[in-house]
Amino acid sequence: MSQQAREDQLQRKAVVLEYCTRRKRKERKRKSRGLSARQRRALRLFDIKPEQQRYSLFLPLHELWKQYIRDLCNGLKPDTQPQLIQAKLLKADLHGAIVSVTKSKCPSYVGVTGILLQETKHVFKIITKEDRLKVIPKLNCVFTVEIDGFISYIYGSKFQLRSSERSAKKFKAKGTVDL
Amino acid sequence: MAGPVKDREAFQRLSFLYQAAHCVLAQDPENQALATFYCHTERTIAKRLVLRRDPSVKRTLCRGCSSLLIPGLTCTQRQRRCRGQRWTVQTCLTCRRSQRFLNNPGHLLWGDRPEAQLGSQADPKPPQPMPNTAHPIPAHLPEEKVQPPNSSHQ
Repeated sequence: MSQQAREDQLQRKAVVLEYCTRRKRKERKRKSRGLSARQRRALRLFDIKPEQQRYSLFLPLHELWKQYIRDLCNGLKPDTQPQLIQAKLLKADLHGAIVSVTKSKCPSYVGVTGILLQETKHVFKIITKEDRLKVIPKLNCVFTVEIDGFISYIYGSKFQLRSSERSAKKFKAKGTVDL
Repeated sequence: MAGPVKDREAFQRLSFLYQAAHCVLAQDPENQALATFYCHTERTIAKRLVLRRDPSVKRTLCRGCSSLLIPGLTCTQRQRRCRGQRWTVQTCLTCRRSQRFLNNPGHLLWGDRPEAQLGSQADPKPPQPMPNTAHPIPAHLPEEKVQPPNSSHQ
C-alpha cells in the first residue's frame, strides 16, 4: 500500500524539514561622512588642467594669507619674541604662502619657490611662476617662509603631518635639528 | 564663555580656510577640487578640536563630500511642498546628496534664543511660493534663477 511505503520511506530516510543558514549581513555603508577611498578616487586632488590657470590667479589667495597672518600675529614688526610667532605659525595654516626650498638632500629641489596649494601628510604641492605644479616631499628638506621681514625655516622632517593634525598636536623639541 | 587662545587661533584658521575656498572658486569656477580640499581640511580641524560652527556656515558645506556648496554652480536648490509645508532642498552635484530645510516664516527665531546668543539665524531664503525667485546668497558668482517645480509630495 502506498501509505505504508511512504511511511517506510519516511522512517528510514532523513528528511530535511527546514533549511536554515545564516547569511552574514554585508557591511552596511553607514558612513555618510566617510567614503574616504572613494572620494579620493573622484580626483579630489588636482587635474592637470589648472596648470593653464596661471600663477597670477593664485595671487589673491596669497594676499588673503598675508592678511590672515598679520591678523594672527597682531602687527607687522612688534619686536617681540620670535618664539611667539613661531608658536603661532606652527598652528597656523600655510595654504597660500610663498615657500621656497633652501636646503635639501636632493639638489634638484633647492631653490624651488612658489605658492603652496595643498599640503598632505608627506608632501607639499607648489605652483611655481612658470605655472608648473611641483610636488615636493617634506622629508629631508628645509623650507623658508617669509612674512613682512620675518623669515622662518621649517624643517620638513619634523612636519610629517596632515595640516589638520598639526593644529591639534603639541610639538616637542626632540632629536637633532638636521636634514 | 571664556575665549582661550588656542580656540581663537583655530577659529581664525577655519575662517581663513573658508574664505580661501571662496576665493579660489571665484578665480576659477571650473575646478572645484582645490576648494573641496580646503573644506575637507576645515572639517577635519573642526572635528579634531571639537569646534562649533554656525549653522548658516554649515549649510554651505556638503556633509558627504565636503565641497563648498554654491547654488547655481555646485549644487541645485529647489523648493518643494511636502505634507503641506514648504521645504527647500539642496542637492550637491558631486556626491548627489541632498539636504532639506524647512522654510517657515514663523520659524525664523529658533536660532535666536536668549540662552545661546550665537547670532541671529536669518533665513536666507524668502518663503515665497511663486517660482523665479533669485535667492539672495552672498556669492561673487552670477546666480542662476531657480525654477521650483510645483510638485506636491503627499
